[in-house]
Amino acid sequence: MEKREPLFRITRRQDIKKSTAYTIYLLAFVIAILLGSLVFVICNVSPVTAYSAIINGAFGKSTGIRQTVKIMIPLLGTALALAPCFKMKYWNIGAEGQITMGAMGAAFFAINFYDKMPHVVLLLVMALSAMLMGALWSFIPAFFKAKWNTNETLFTLMLNYIAIGFVAYLQGGPWEGKEGSQIVPNFNSNAVLPKVFGVHMGWIIVLILVFVMFIYMKYTKHGYEISVMGDSENTARYAGMDVFKVIVRTAMVSGAISGLVGFMLASGQDQTIYSGIAANNGFTAISVAWLSKLNPFVMVLISLLLAALSKGSSSLKTAMGVPASISDIITGIILLCLLGSEFFVNFKIIRRQKEDK
Amino acid sequence: MKKLFACLLAMMMVLSLVACSNGGNTDTENTGNDDETKTYTVGMVCIGNSEMAYDRNFYNAADNAKEILAQKGINIEWKYTYDHPEGDPVADDCIELAEDGAIAVFLNSYGMENAMLKVAGDYPDTVFAALTNEGSKSDELENTVNAFPSIYEGRYLAGVAAGMKLNEMIANNEITEEEAVLGYVGAYTYSEVVSGYTAFYLGARSVCPSATMLVEFIGSWGDPAMEATTAQDLIDRGAVIVSQHSDSTTPATTCQQNGKYHVGYNISMTDVAPDASIVSSTIDWTNYFVYVIETIVNGGTVAQDYIGYGLKTGDVKLTELNEAIAAEGTKEAIDAAADAISNGSLMVFDTSKFTVNGETPTESFIDMNADFTPDDTNAISDGYYHESFYKSAPSFDLRIDGITLINEAY
Repeated sequence: MEKREPLFRITRRQDIKKSTAYTIYLLAFVIAILLGSLVFVICNVSPVTAYSAIINGAFGKSTGIRQTVKIMIPLLGTALALAPCFKMKYWNIGAEGQITMGAMGAAFFAINFYDKMPHVVLLLVMALSAMLMGALWSFIPAFFKAKWNTNETLFTLMLNYIAIGFVAYLQGGPWEGKEGSQIVPNFNSNAVLPKVFGVHMGWIIVLILVFVMFIYMKYTKHGYEISVMGDSENTARYAGMDVFKVIVRTAMVSGAISGLVGFMLASGQDQTIYSGIAANNGFTAISVAWLSKLNPFVMVLISLLLAALSKGSSSLKTAMGVPASISDIITGIILLCLLGSEFFVNFKIIRRQKEDK
Repeated sequence: MKKLFACLLAMMMVLSLVACSNGGNTDTENTGNDDETKTYTVGMVCIGNSEMAYDRNFYNAADNAKEILAQKGINIEWKYTYDHPEGDPVADDCIELAEDGAIAVFLNSYGMENAMLKVAGDYPDTVFAALTNEGSKSDELENTVNAFPSIYEGRYLAGVAAGMKLNEMIANNEITEEEAVLGYVGAYTYSEVVSGYTAFYLGARSVCPSATMLVEFIGSWGDPAMEATTAQDLIDRGAVIVSQHSDSTTPATTCQQNGKYHVGYNISMTDVAPDASIVSSTIDWTNYFVYVIETIVNGGTVAQDYIGYGLKTGDVKLTELNEAIAAEGTKEAIDAAADAISNGSLMVFDTSKFTVNGETPTESFIDMNADFTPDDTNAISDGYYHESFYKSAPSFDLRIDGITLINEAY
């Protein structure tokens, strides 16, 4: 009996030329832009004007650039935080909660000790407290994972809601300003992260972190352990690594950086705290980390792209009255296309050969 | 690969065609504008969007203000940002609008003031008005102001309508005097809410002396599902008329389903609940928008606070009465009370009309500098609580007898 070959066959690519891979990414981006144009056309907006409004909004004026950078800071910071976890194949999707707890740790000192310490000391204490809270929040699921192999995806996800609920309680309880308002007053200027070139200095912190994380992942013993663990836990165990320690330590490093992001948000950006302070950065950063294949330098580019889209689309909203959801759709399309293109980088589609018949 | 490129190229060409034709359209529209008169940009940051009852009220007022100003020779164009309840996005909106050259930016919700205050100092030529809040008037910035028309007067009138309905139900033997129970869906135990429900209750009791009220808080300014559940709970506890301080229309529809009556807020809700919703009280922001914009254009200084504007000045209103279900004589009773409030012969928070823990209150200190602690200004004097008198934001925070709070967690 003749065995029929399917019309399409999928095979894994053994090795792919860099240029081919980049062409695929570029094509994916172009397709995303075209699909986005279609959405604009449906909404009766000229795609050309819309895209130029986005680019203008994000980079046109110095205030636009500042805001783009401000949006980029927590995205990049959180993506860096997630990198070691993902490298270890530990699916930490609890950055949102770790950021929130970090912000809470920072806010505690900003609210209670703003007049008891000099500016720099206060900021350092706030940052440390934020890192501690973030690490602690990340420690809990890591401990359970390392000890009893619980599902870290669900565990970290659930902890997000607890963290957010906890801040919501503080916001309406002990830290509330006007009774019943559910609003924590703005921090005293003593607890506010200073600005450098018009943006809070968190951008300097995350840029330093890019290098630190690159070195940590590539050239340190910790980084090596993480990458071995990611490939195979058994190999790591056989090589004599303390698996428990590596999991807990890596998760806590990740949590501490997320917590630091929380500090930058509370002290630099919002200058107060509320339950939504993480603003989905913990989730969006997952895409940033994936798109950049955990490479810290690529993360800078990807987070810049997403920040520019976010800033640009908010200008689009004011300038052209395009509904906010449209810009979310555009961002979604771009992410989907870029992530989807991974498939074509990793696999090859082979058509049935006509001559075979 | 070649085919793919060809397809993409074709798609791009088609799209750019569409794009060009669209661009052409907008261009002609733009050039259609008259360049001789200057058009001022005015911004508004909204907590929700134009589909929400609360925000719709602002959009309507903005349209009216635009028309009125045009008649005075001032052309304005509104720019909106929306769906930003709080936090840093609000600050970015303020920057965006100010950079766009907005002469004024209105923020339509309480929670936005903090974020705005972070950036307002950088744009001294733009006036930022934090509506329904109170921090801007007492800060050191000249270009940040507050406004809150005297909505408690409207609440009182809405209460009169509810009280008339209670009387009718008692007269028809549908309920006994003891069963004259009002329900109230509240947002938070926040003085704006307390002031509102107390004024509503006092209005109802002014015509139906046996009325009592249950208040249940939902811990949100607007949550359609929660508002409906809470309205149902109030009805189950015996409320025959439900009113609300929350942003959606679900309390009205819940009353409709239960065959009970309802008094609304912000917009008329008789279209969604024709057999239940009697009337709504609302703030009409038109006057304030006109005042601020006209003042800026004429080179004047916008007042830091907007005190003493209510029924009399048309800043607070009732929506059209639902005559089909309102009790007989409601319109006359409302008009009489409105006149009395406007000419000063009726004080809503007359301390001889209510008690706190069985006693007539004589002292209630209010916070004048937004530091969240009462200062030495006593709002009670001359026999009444001076609501929205020392500052426009409601400050009445007494828990009066006759009203039962079911929960106080929020």
